[in-house]
Amino acid sequence: MNEQAATLSESINAIIAGAGSLLPELLLAGFFLLLVTLDLFKSKSIKQLLPWLAATGLFATLIIQILGGYTSGGVQFLNLLRSDGLARFAGILFSGAGIFTILLSLQNRQLEKLEKGRGEYYALILMLVLGLNLMAKSINLLMVFLAIEVVSIASYILTLTLKDNKRSVEAGLKYILYGTLSAGVMLYGMSFFYGLTGSLSYTEGNFWQSLLQADALLVTVAAILVFAGFFFKISAAPFHFWIPDVYQGAPMPIVALFSTGPKMAGVIIILRFVAAFADPTLAGVFTDITLFLGIAALATLAIGNFTALWQRTPRRLLAYSSVSHAGFLLMALLAFGTNYTSGVLFYLTVLLFMNFGIFLFLQIAEEELGVQQLENFEGLGRLYPYLGMMALLYLLSLTGLPPLAGFMGKLLIFSNVWEAYTATNQGMLLVLLVVGILLTGVALFYYIRIPYYLFFKRNQTAENLVISLSNKLLLGFFALPLLVLFFKPDLLLHWIETLLAQTL
Amino acid sequence: MNDFILSGLIFTPLLAALVVLLMPIRLQKPMKAVALLGTLVQMGLAILLYFRFDGAALSNGQQGYQFVEKLNWINFSLGTLGRFQIEYFVGVDGVSISMVLLTGIIGVIGVISSWTIKKNVKGYFLLYLLLMTSVMGCFLALDFFLFYLFFEFMLLPMYFLIGIWGGPKREYAAIKFFIYTLVGSLFILIVMIGLYTSVIDPAATAAQLGLLEKGTAINANAIAQVQQLLQQNTINSAEMVRTFSIPAMMEPANFIPGSLLHVLSGTVLWDLPLRFIAFLLLFAGFAIKVPSVPVHTWLPDAHVEAPTPISVLLAAILLKVGGYGLIRIVYPIFPDAGAYFSVLVGGLGVLSIIYGALCALAMNDLKKLIAYSSVSHMGFVLLGLASLTAEGVNGAIYMMFSHGIISAMLFLVVGVIYDRAHDRMILNFRGLAKRMPAYTTFVVIAFFASLGLPGFSGFISELLVLVGGFSAPEVTGLLPRWLTIVAVFGLLLAAAYYLWALQRMFFGKYWIFPELREKAILTDLNAREYLMLVPLAILALLFGIFPHLLLDKIGVTATGFTELVLQNGQEQLHMVLSSMRR
Repeated sequence: MNEQAATLSESINAIIAGAGSLLPELLLAGFFLLLVTLDLFKSKSIKQLLPWLAATGLFATLIIQILGGYTSGGVQFLNLLRSDGLARFAGILFSGAGIFTILLSLQNRQLEKLEKGRGEYYALILMLVLGLNLMAKSINLLMVFLAIEVVSIASYILTLTLKDNKRSVEAGLKYILYGTLSAGVMLYGMSFFYGLTGSLSYTEGNFWQSLLQADALLVTVAAILVFAGFFFKISAAPFHFWIPDVYQGAPMPIVALFSTGPKMAGVIIILRFVAAFADPTLAGVFTDITLFLGIAALATLAIGNFTALWQRTPRRLLAYSSVSHAGFLLMALLAFGTNYTSGVLFYLTVLLFMNFGIFLFLQIAEEELGVQQLENFEGLGRLYPYLGMMALLYLLSLTGLPPLAGFMGKLLIFSNVWEAYTATNQGMLLVLLVVGILLTGVALFYYIRIPYYLFFKRNQTAENLVISLSNKLLLGFFALPLLVLFFKPDLLLHWIETLLAQTL
Repeated sequence: MNDFILSGLIFTPLLAALVVLLMPIRLQKPMKAVALLGTLVQMGLAILLYFRFDGAALSNGQQGYQFVEKLNWINFSLGTLGRFQIEYFVGVDGVSISMVLLTGIIGVIGVISSWTIKKNVKGYFLLYLLLMTSVMGCFLALDFFLFYLFFEFMLLPMYFLIGIWGGPKREYAAIKFFIYTLVGSLFILIVMIGLYTSVIDPAATAAQLGLLEKGTAINANAIAQVQQLLQQNTINSAEMVRTFSIPAMMEPANFIPGSLLHVLSGTVLWDLPLRFIAFLLLFAGFAIKVPSVPVHTWLPDAHVEAPTPISVLLAAILLKVGGYGLIRIVYPIFPDAGAYFSVLVGGLGVLSIIYGALCALAMNDLKKLIAYSSVSHMGFVLLGLASLTAEGVNGAIYMMFSHGIISAMLFLVVGVIYDRAHDRMILNFRGLAKRMPAYTTFVVIAFFASLGLPGFSGFISELLVLVGGFSAPEVTGLLPRWLTIVAVFGLLLAAAYYLWALQRMFFGKYWIFPELREKAILTDLNAREYLMLVPLAILALLFGIFPHLLLDKIGVTATGFTELVLQNGQEQLHMVLSSMRR
């Protein structure tokens, strides 16, 4: 009895000691509860307040994460969560993604018209961001699973926000089926790891050391199973099948969020997972796993880029573009021995701005101008030069052409891969590098189709709609960092380096 | 000495573009005036630079740049891999001075030629001015990253200029142009990444190591010391400053030992040293732009569909970026591979000369004929370069300049007939000399200048290239003599297709295709057209009769370049091949 009490009080002490490092998560959880409670009131004025309240919560979290200083003296939260610089920077991106989602939602007519469930929509965005933060902090496989599930469940419901829309329902159903399948597979793989090592702390050295004694084939199989869950989140092949349907069916702000938030968090998890391979004592042992990752990166790049070529709707085109970006990120994670982390974080930052930009453009095009198919873009760039120019900017950045930050991101990734190839002479890295660069040419081919319709074709039915000032400002807001980060990438990179140097 | 004249050259059109951007759409005339003013200032600066440039100063690509501006631009730490540095680094030498002058002149001619544009004037001049900035930037950049930025940024304005203001099949031509050039630039990107991860900036590394106190001038001793330490592999990689600087990439001593593109790396891919592969990738990237057979197929489409002023820009200055890239980047950085592949490069040059001329002979569309003649003439650039003799390289640079002037004239001349008849098929016209005597005079001048009649600049350049080619077997031992002999036939073919076209279109009894008669109003040249054609004709003659005007400026650099490439080439080729065998 006394012993139990002792361990209990020990745990409580540990929780209290570590809680400080979870300030952003606690804040998000608090605002989530507040939103859910306020949503119970019928008053219209309260309902009008909810989006702004959610935005305030995210903004407060963002500020706290930028300022930092909430760590609790080097204590990890029960060996489950680690609040290091990596998680902090990722958290900043997640808060940004959450705020942008709300800003896009406020501009979205369909969501404005929504009778039921508006409050829960905004609450769930908070929930999702909370889950993303937990994903980025997890250093324990079970915690990884829980965090991924938090994100997934919030995602399923958010996909189904527009319940009256058939496509929405189809998308939601597919999403849930794929999601539960990959979660199950991942859990199965994790159980292998637990059986082999007796530990779930996958970032610790002895976890991998004890895997050295295990059967190599079994370890590889277990790793592949675990990657199923991660790949589902970052939309890498072969777990990308849900992407086009969800992108087609979900509300636009949510699509933008899916194309950034979970992808970033998934990348961080994989980054932590494979970081052990950079350890010289382990180098060359788990080559099968790196080979698998390399092949997956190649497949993702190829599938994403080539399938995008045949797409006829802008949403599906961007869905496959999002798959191809997952390929680039996977490739970046294989450049062991270089400081690929800062390159990856830079790329994620750029991805955040260009994806929200292009989806905002698409939202305007869909809602104001009735664009459903690529052909519907005809002549819009001539009618609305500002809109067209912004779209061009985002698309060129997605392709990775100068003078936009997308180019810098790719340049950093390619440089790291080349550097890693120089150091290790692994043929796979060279193949990845060359394929990655040449597929940029393919990428141009499909991205340029949108400006092609925007500027080269003429629109017969010229209606003169006015695009709202807030939309224009938002378009410019997302575009500005893309230019700044091309001309002065060192500003962001310095900051990333300082954050990464901070261990806890 | 340093008064930011080069930045002025690059950014004047950009400034004009900003002004155009802020002007309301209905002010079309003032917009044109702003564009003209912008390009006039650029031309003025180019001419000023030409006179101030000291042609006698020694330079060979590694040193001796004039009017250099060097600013730190992007600089960040790569952790254990040292630092990474991109500079705003511009300068001129004998190679670039000719291209700068050409760009300045053609920019103004292009604006005058664009005066009749009616569709979306604002967008047109905005893109035009952006294009002028990026082309000028390309010719002045000495940092590979900066060069690549301008190089890529040329694509987009060109894509829209062809795709929106072009002819009936403009969309196809624009996409084809874009895809070809982008693939080329991706090849260049691969090598660029490989190069900057392999090369250090000795001066900055010296500062990093503390060999050079901050603020003190860079001295040769410190640099030599760093290079020695580097090659002995005693510099910690965290202390290295990696750079995109093209002059730094030219010195083999700046390559990090063990890096894949180091002369002694011995890395082999498909039985070729990696350095050779890098050379081939870069060469392919620039050959698309030159364009050389067999990657020239985008050119006739782009030319035929582009509006006249854009054809002028494309032929006169954009194509030159390809040849310029070969001289500025490919050969000096990989002289070993340049020596090794000289027959390939020279052979492709000769193939372009002959094949381009044969195609030109077969064309019925006057604009296509001229487009193929461009392919043929740019072949001489490759041949002259491959010979690696002083005459050949001088000739190649001279050819780029002279072709710029003459091809501008040729495309303007085609534009004149197309404006009047909305047709340019050779067989639809006969005896135009009777109706349009002044026009015919300029056509004759342009054709004769292009086919290399003595007295015109084309003659000088072809002569120099051929002399270089013929002396190559003795002087450098790089090209077989028969290659140059075959190239001479290109001159004959050029005479054939020009004179034949002249005979069919302009001489004989006046006749035009019946369907064209109603629309076509065949008036002779107007004042605007004189304003463009007369200066170009004078320039073609001037540089044909007084070649020293240009050769004095480029000669020392071209000779220095040749010596450097040849000497380093032989030495490094030996090292590369021997390290491969090991």
